[in-house]
Amino acid sequence: MAEQVYTVASDSETTGEDKSQPSFPDVAIGIDIGTSKCSVAVWNGHQVELLKNTRNQHGMRSYVMFKDDNLSAGVTGGATRENAHEERDILSGSAIFNMKRLIGRTDTDEVVQASKALPFLVQTLGIGVRPFIAALVNNMWRSTTPEEVLAIFLLELKALVEMHLKHPVRNAVLTIPVAFSRFQQTRIERACAMAGLHVLRLMPEPTAVALLYAQQQQQLMHDNMGSGIEKIALIFNMGAGYCDVAVAATAGGVSQIRALSGCTVGGEDILQNTMRHVLPNFDSLYAGQTMDRIKSMGLVRIATQDAIHKLANQESVEINVDLGNGQQVSKVLDHSEFEQVNRAIFEKCEKIINQCLVDAKLVPEDINDVILVGGCSRIPRIRSLVLGLCKKEVSYKNVDALEAAVSGAALEGAIASGVTDPSGSLDLLTIQATPMNLGIRADGDGFAAIIPRNTTVPARRDMLFTTTHDNQTEALIAVYEGEGERAEDNHLLGYFKIAGIPPAPKGSVEISVCMDIDASNVLRVFAGVVKPQGPAIPPFIEVRMPTLDDGHGWCGQALAKMYGKTLDLAVLPKKLQP
Amino acid sequence: MAASFASTASVVPSCGAAGARRGGRFVARASAVAMAPALGTTARTHYEVLGVGTAASRGEVKAAYRRLAREVHPDAGGRGDEGFIRLHAAYATLADPDERARYDRSVARPAPARAVGFRPRRWETDQCW
Repeated sequence: MAEQVYTVASDSETTGEDKSQPSFPDVAIGIDIGTSKCSVAVWNGHQVELLKNTRNQHGMRSYVMFKDDNLSAGVTGGATRENAHEERDILSGSAIFNMKRLIGRTDTDEVVQASKALPFLVQTLGIGVRPFIAALVNNMWRSTTPEEVLAIFLLELKALVEMHLKHPVRNAVLTIPVAFSRFQQTRIERACAMAGLHVLRLMPEPTAVALLYAQQQQQLMHDNMGSGIEKIALIFNMGAGYCDVAVAATAGGVSQIRALSGCTVGGEDILQNTMRHVLPNFDSLYAGQTMDRIKSMGLVRIATQDAIHKLANQESVEINVDLGNGQQVSKVLDHSEFEQVNRAIFEKCEKIINQCLVDAKLVPEDINDVILVGGCSRIPRIRSLVLGLCKKEVSYKNVDALEAAVSGAALEGAIASGVTDPSGSLDLLTIQATPMNLGIRADGDGFAAIIPRNTTVPARRDMLFTTTHDNQTEALIAVYEGEGERAEDNHLLGYFKIAGIPPAPKGSVEISVCMDIDASNVLRVFAGVVKPQGPAIPPFIEVRMPTLDDGHGWCGQALAKMYGKTLDLAVLPKKLQP
Repeated sequence: MAASFASTASVVPSCGAAGARRGGRFVARASAVAMAPALGTTARTHYEVLGVGTAASRGEVKAAYRRLAREVHPDAGGRGDEGFIRLHAAYATLADPDERARYDRSVARPAPARAVGFRPRRWETDQCW
């Protein structure tokens, strides 16, 4: 594995400090930052080892507790036994959790809106800027940011790993949801830089599982002296915050990601739906977030969570919560009710599985193994839904639902650090695909996808555009990422202007926009005039994306207001292309 | 078209050569026997990139792709992205029966060259897609 030459990004905050080579064998650690729980693993020279915290847990609750001037994260969970945080404390308003759902999102985002039902403060103004989040400290809301909370958590996690390995740790491979935008990825890198970690790779969660599967298949093949028959796996990963699907073709230690799809539904939505069902006036009761309300909602949350867990193994469950002031919640919840309440979520899961199969150009019969991972994969309805769509009786048995992603990340960490293993168990390669369309605004408010989703990376594609006005000398290249048909339905990654276009009738100038994703998943956009040619043409422009340093939902609108259609481009019709 | 080549050739030294290669059509020293992997700038057709004969089965195409990916993918020690991008383009075309048929026809009867837009640095091939 060639050491990736680190490019100094224009966004200097994400690149952090100098990259001096440490003297110890620096094997990148694998981190799975879950919405609910986090885990860390490292290649110990022979195999992947999951690290435990002082409370002997592999999965550590993802939160940071703000108390007086003390901050403590879920890695140690309050450090000592007498200070140990209980779920009640975490739901008291003093802890920030679900960072992965909040990071890099604007206050108009529906995921942020849904997060207002959490016990800490999530305040939105609905204008497309980052939400205001705060933790309750001494009866006062103290502000923080998702990046800061995540950095505090990662700092504690890093200390745990260093204590275990007895040497400093610098590099990490992190798993991320498929649905994460490139802007959100920069926020994760930012949080890591704040914690002194250099991100070697951000890996979509199901692709980390695919890597683990590839390793297991290769091991099996070695043992049986079998032939390198291609195996197709569908990986379904659903945690508290996100749901991801990947289809991977594996043979000879090469895991080729055929398709990825993801969405922002998860256990948190299931929990909130169920809470609202158990307590129909949840929202009005919770409005205002007074101290006693936060406390009673915490109790409802714990009881509902517990009930959902129990429903995995029993037909019905009784929920009893004393809300105080003589108010009591008492309800028997059974499977059919639970499934009815969460129907929209299950439908969303079905949709992304089907989409993934279509994108991979496969039918259920092509699938050899269905791998179910993530906390929500324990929900019977989810299991039957995924297996049913894939026409399988049983799921793949050889992975742990909660540890597969972090194990894959640690494998990737070892491979990316150049570690080799005599037994060949690191002789693996993942060929990634890009999960979302990448393109620019063109033809009015349209979105021209230059690199379509599920294109194998590294990738490079170009497309020709033309002017929309006579004698148009400037054009705006607004780069978006997403699945929407209109540009504004997608994530704006950045924009720049091409100036000095030679005056000509509309439609006669040719402007090439080329997008390049390298093996480290860095996106570069190149643009310039290719027709007419000559010395009077300005040089091409190369821009590393994203350039936006905040998820400003209103940048696109501001540009539209300022320039109208004067800088618009149109896709050059194919028939005019030579 | 020729002008566009000339003006971008300074950015991309191999573009001129690529144009010349188009004329010197290939083919059919076909045999199912895999040819030596012809990576690097000498590769011409998708079959040559993959090092397979024109009669290679889909399984052989896939196997060759995987084997070569382990050499040219940047994560596997390959230098730069070009080698892999070209390898994948060859695989994507030949692993899809329709695409392959179209490609075979186009190679047998050369179509006019496609528009060459701006090509960023490190560009080496005209066969990407």
